[in-house]
Amino acid sequence: MLKNYFKLAIKVLGRRKFFTFVSLFGISFTLMILMLITAFLQTELGSDAPMTEKDNLVYLPAISIKRAVKDTVVERDTSYQEGIMIVDSTVTYPERINSHSRSNPSYYFVNKYGRDVVPAKNYSIYNNSSYDFFLNSKKLTFRALLTDERFWEIYDFSFVEGQAYRKTQVDNGEAIVVLTQKACRQYFGQESGVIGKEVVFEGQTYTVSGVIKDPKSFHVYVNAEAYIPYTNLPPAVLGGTGLMDGFEVVYQAHTPADIPKIKKELEHRANLFEEFRDDYATYNRLEMMSYTFRERYADNLYDEDDDPAQNLKTVQWLLIFLLSLFVILPVLNLVNLNISRIMERSSEIGVRKAFGAHSSNILFQFVFENVILTFIGGLIGFILAIGMIKLINESHVLYETTLGFNFKIFFYSFLICLFFGVLSGLLPAYKMSKVHIVNALKQNQR
Amino acid sequence: MISLQNINKVYRTKTIETLALNEINLEVSEGEFLSIMGPSGCGKSTLLNIIGLIDEPSSGNITIANQTVNGYNSKDMAHFRNEKLGFIFQSFHLINDLSVIDNVELPLLYRKSVSASERRRLAEEALLKVGLKNRMSHFPAQLSGGQKQRVAIARAIVGKPNIILADEPTGNLDSAMGNEIMNILLQLNQEEKTTIVMVTHDESMARKTNRLVRLFDGAQVS
Repeated sequence: MLKNYFKLAIKVLGRRKFFTFVSLFGISFTLMILMLITAFLQTELGSDAPMTEKDNLVYLPAISIKRAVKDTVVERDTSYQEGIMIVDSTVTYPERINSHSRSNPSYYFVNKYGRDVVPAKNYSIYNNSSYDFFLNSKKLTFRALLTDERFWEIYDFSFVEGQAYRKTQVDNGEAIVVLTQKACRQYFGQESGVIGKEVVFEGQTYTVSGVIKDPKSFHVYVNAEAYIPYTNLPPAVLGGTGLMDGFEVVYQAHTPADIPKIKKELEHRANLFEEFRDDYATYNRLEMMSYTFRERYADNLYDEDDDPAQNLKTVQWLLIFLLSLFVILPVLNLVNLNISRIMERSSEIGVRKAFGAHSSNILFQFVFENVILTFIGGLIGFILAIGMIKLINESHVLYETTLGFNFKIFFYSFLICLFFGVLSGLLPAYKMSKVHIVNALKQNQR
Repeated sequence: MISLQNINKVYRTKTIETLALNEINLEVSEGEFLSIMGPSGCGKSTLLNIIGLIDEPSSGNITIANQTVNGYNSKDMAHFRNEKLGFIFQSFHLINDLSVIDNVELPLLYRKSVSASERRRLAEEALLKVGLKNRMSHFPAQLSGGQKQRVAIARAIVGKPNIILADEPTGNLDSAMGNEIMNILLQLNQEEKTTIVMVTHDESMARKTNRLVRLFDGAQVS
């Protein structure tokens, strides 16, 4: 029976070329878009190197100082009792933030209050910067991360040659640099064989101690062209006693379950604000803005809410909504096409039923045809997705972000398409399987 | 073989009630070739559809092959049609996307006990009977009207049903082709002892059958 259905499905698809084209286009394009989006999310939010520890990471990229004041709110409730007006007043004192400032913490702050957060297994202090310089009369800009030695323990970069800087080198403020292959290519015209060579950024000379593979991800926490010990920063930066400057801290938990403990410990440390009270006389509250990796990613896209977890939820729902749209719109289109396709075959349905087919046989036949269609669409979508990923990676349209094809994601995307493929065939097939035989035979008689 | 008692069929809309069949009582013996005649709209096809269990009477009892089928649910009816009945339609109702042999095999697809090879053998045998074995790989669009109807006959007999119900089987054919189809039906009736009930407009075709029943305005008049 299946062979018969298969033959018929292929014949019908071949005969109705426009329908087949539109259906296959819908399925394969949907699948391709789903694959591209999920490949992008996998690269950005997945655990590819150097972010293999990302689920255990807590970031402290900013602190926030606020002035909280009490508002007096009077609510009046008027009612009548035996014709006499009674006024009931409720006075509440909700808190209102009437001024707030948010920035990266200073080295002084992270050095004094950001270290040795007990629930954390490891941590790294770093500073985002960039260097402009001229090379062969051409201006170049390198993003730089000025880090401690622990940075290399938390993120698993892949070294092409040389090695990461060690604690003694950081403590001694050695002028050394780890470059990416791309940076080497730009600076020296070669991707390796540069250990011991010197680079000059803004008048300061650094010796290359290591070369790493280009990070696939474009995350600001890991992506740069040059990595330098933070002790190379000017004394004014490292020796200041202010609250805010350009530093960040990343904490590595033993397990994701320890993340709330780290966040709680950071909240506790915010109470140490008293020390800076004289500098910030108008503020009366300090908050540690700590984020998980995903929260921080979402916060870059949407930061309307003070609560990073809430922002992450909003972004997740938005993503689910958009992905659903990508799937539902082609499905609705397919349902519509299937209705007209199946209606055209009412005579066939009538004959099949007259000769003993039950409604369930008819339902199965049309759903089977849709499954065949979805499989063909899936195959085309697979080829399209691989082609597009290759094209995107080669054209560097997403900068350093390199998309990878994930077979697991493809499998799930295919299942989604199959589910909707079946669903889009099921509704019209169900409707037609219930049509009275006499009426079915009367329509489009052949 | 077929027994209809007090069959009535009423079509109701919000405003009109139409009596399509009025107190039909009919007995068809095993191996009989019965034809039903009457003017258009007199209820011939409705009666045939009721015998074929593809339409339900408003009231009355139907017994086919010693089985009272009134209480059957849709699944039982589908099974019964598949096992006991074969249909031939005026407009052939072949599936254009399937080859001749696949069209003929169709009723057997719904019999779980028949294997694919057995299906093929029975379909070839049926096509041989209607003289179209050499056309089994063709598609309906490649056949003449008479050939299409012969394929339809092969499809009707492939499951070896007790009864064949033919609704104006020669209505879309010229007289030569019509005679050809009629001869095949007569042959089936005489050689295989298949009971046939045929609706026709053609008096000459009806005269070739064992018995003629006439309908007028939903009632049996002879």
